[in-house]
Amino acid sequence: MIIETDNLTKMYGNKVGCSEICLTVGEGQIFGFLGPNGAGKSTLVKTLVGLLFPTSGSARILGKPLGDRSVRRKTGFLPENFRYQDWLTGAELLSFHGSLHGMNRAEKTRRIPEVLELVGLGEKGRQRVGSYSKGMQQRVGLACALLPDPELIFLDEPTSALDPLGRREVREIMLELRKRGKTIFLNSHLLSEVEMVCDRVAFINKGCIVAEGSLDNLLANTVEVDMRVEGISQKMLGELSILSSSLKAEGNLIRLCLRDIADTPVLAEVVVNNGGKLFSLNTRQNSLEDLFIELVKEGGHQVC
Amino acid sequence: MLTIAALTFKEVVRRRILLVTVALAVIFLSLYGTAVHYGYQDMTSSHYAGSMNALIAPMFLSIGLYFGSFIVAFLAVMAAVGAISGEIENGIINAIIPSPVRRLDIVLGKFIGYALMLSVFASLFYVAVLLIVQLNTGLSAPVRAGAVGLFCLQPVILLALTMFGTTFLSTLANGIGSFMLYAVGVVGGMMEQIGYLAKSQVLVDIGVFSSLLMPADSVYRKIVYGLMSTPDVSLSNMMLGPFGSFSEPSVWMLVYTGFYIVFFLAMASLIFSRKDI
Repeated sequence: MIIETDNLTKMYGNKVGCSEICLTVGEGQIFGFLGPNGAGKSTLVKTLVGLLFPTSGSARILGKPLGDRSVRRKTGFLPENFRYQDWLTGAELLSFHGSLHGMNRAEKTRRIPEVLELVGLGEKGRQRVGSYSKGMQQRVGLACALLPDPELIFLDEPTSALDPLGRREVREIMLELRKRGKTIFLNSHLLSEVEMVCDRVAFINKGCIVAEGSLDNLLANTVEVDMRVEGISQKMLGELSILSSSLKAEGNLIRLCLRDIADTPVLAEVVVNNGGKLFSLNTRQNSLEDLFIELVKEGGHQVC
Repeated sequence: MLTIAALTFKEVVRRRILLVTVALAVIFLSLYGTAVHYGYQDMTSSHYAGSMNALIAPMFLSIGLYFGSFIVAFLAVMAAVGAISGEIENGIINAIIPSPVRRLDIVLGKFIGYALMLSVFASLFYVAVLLIVQLNTGLSAPVRAGAVGLFCLQPVILLALTMFGTTFLSTLANGIGSFMLYAVGVVGGMMEQIGYLAKSQVLVDIGVFSSLLMPADSVYRKIVYGLMSTPDVSLSNMMLGPFGSFSEPSVWMLVYTGFYIVFFLAMASLIFSRKDI
């Protein structure tokens, strides 16, 4: 595993930053980490990259415990509140970060123009960072994270300052990195972005992981079903509620959320077996946004 | 560590901190040179001077070094006051700490970068003051490496203290705290000299105590005592009042100063190494 956390907890005094986080991220994945504001997303990322020290629990990155310097050589990080030395040029900033990662002059000479080109800055690397727009600063931050050709890249809201074109470019960079076997830990508010690139996701709410899994599995568990039924009985509703996470009946309409999409035919059986007449049954796959809202509203149950 | 030190030095140059300081130092030295030139001429030609003649040049020298010390101390605090706290406040440190550099190296790298800049500045300032006085008054006060080293040591003491403060205080609180402690050292040093004059042991003890809190002033006293110990100006120390030195701070004071610097740097590294960002 590239990242493994075991009951990783960070407290700010009495306030929970993140609590008993158990996560595993495999090699070559884009792992999406989702949650509302203040849920603990950045706390976890900051703990994993060494900005914060955990209160309890442990974590291993690339097989080594947190804080191992050899691991840091193989990781890149784009912080959420990116800010860089505005009196340096883009290329000088990259040269500084290259030196921090122990890159020699030849490596830097080869890599710096490469990453500047990759993030769309190219010749603008000669300009001072202070003259960059916010989007350009985020791009140069991404370049810093990618400079040492890391095996693991933490990206905290990597497209927050970018226009739609820039977002697409960053998505393409992430997909290209995955193709090359790199692992990306992506913190993002942009659910559509996560839906487009991530293999697995975890939801955090109030400091706890409330759902985790592959996108397909998580979304498969959130199928919404509308049925028009005549002859609704309490017994029928009781049996239907066993199959669903939520159920509502109004007149002839039953609306429920199926726990497992494979149970769809069973719904018809339950209606018929209870003497009801089924006039229509429509299923709708929930989007990540629906799942997000549901988990945030419900609070979810800690999974660890 | 050297990468951080080089970046710190580059920052001082690139952000024109050094340029502004050098420009203001040139203005100060020009005014000082003019004052020494005409002041010395007028005072020595005055019939009031009489037996005090021999005191005028050392007095100009000590005033130049005293205010020179003040300027380099000011530069030390202003340059390093936000070395860590400022970068935490603006977020620059967030991209540096996750790299393979140790936090200890960040503290020491910044210290070395600033110390190098301050030493270059302080050396040039010291030599300039001595040359101005020598050329205008003919005072025999040769430039000695030891004295230059001590003059460079003064801002380094303040730098270590400021680096300590910047790891856990806000930039503003650190600036205020460092200056207050520097002021304690300066006022205590003056009290000590007045204590010698007035034969007040309490004032002398206040001076010694303040030197332990902030040893920069006692380093200044050691430089002045050394300079004024040449045969033709040997009595001057007693006559310079708050700017002079009645007794030479011992070598143990320098040893203490060394420990003082190491202690605050070690504490800065320790606090920063355990700090949540």
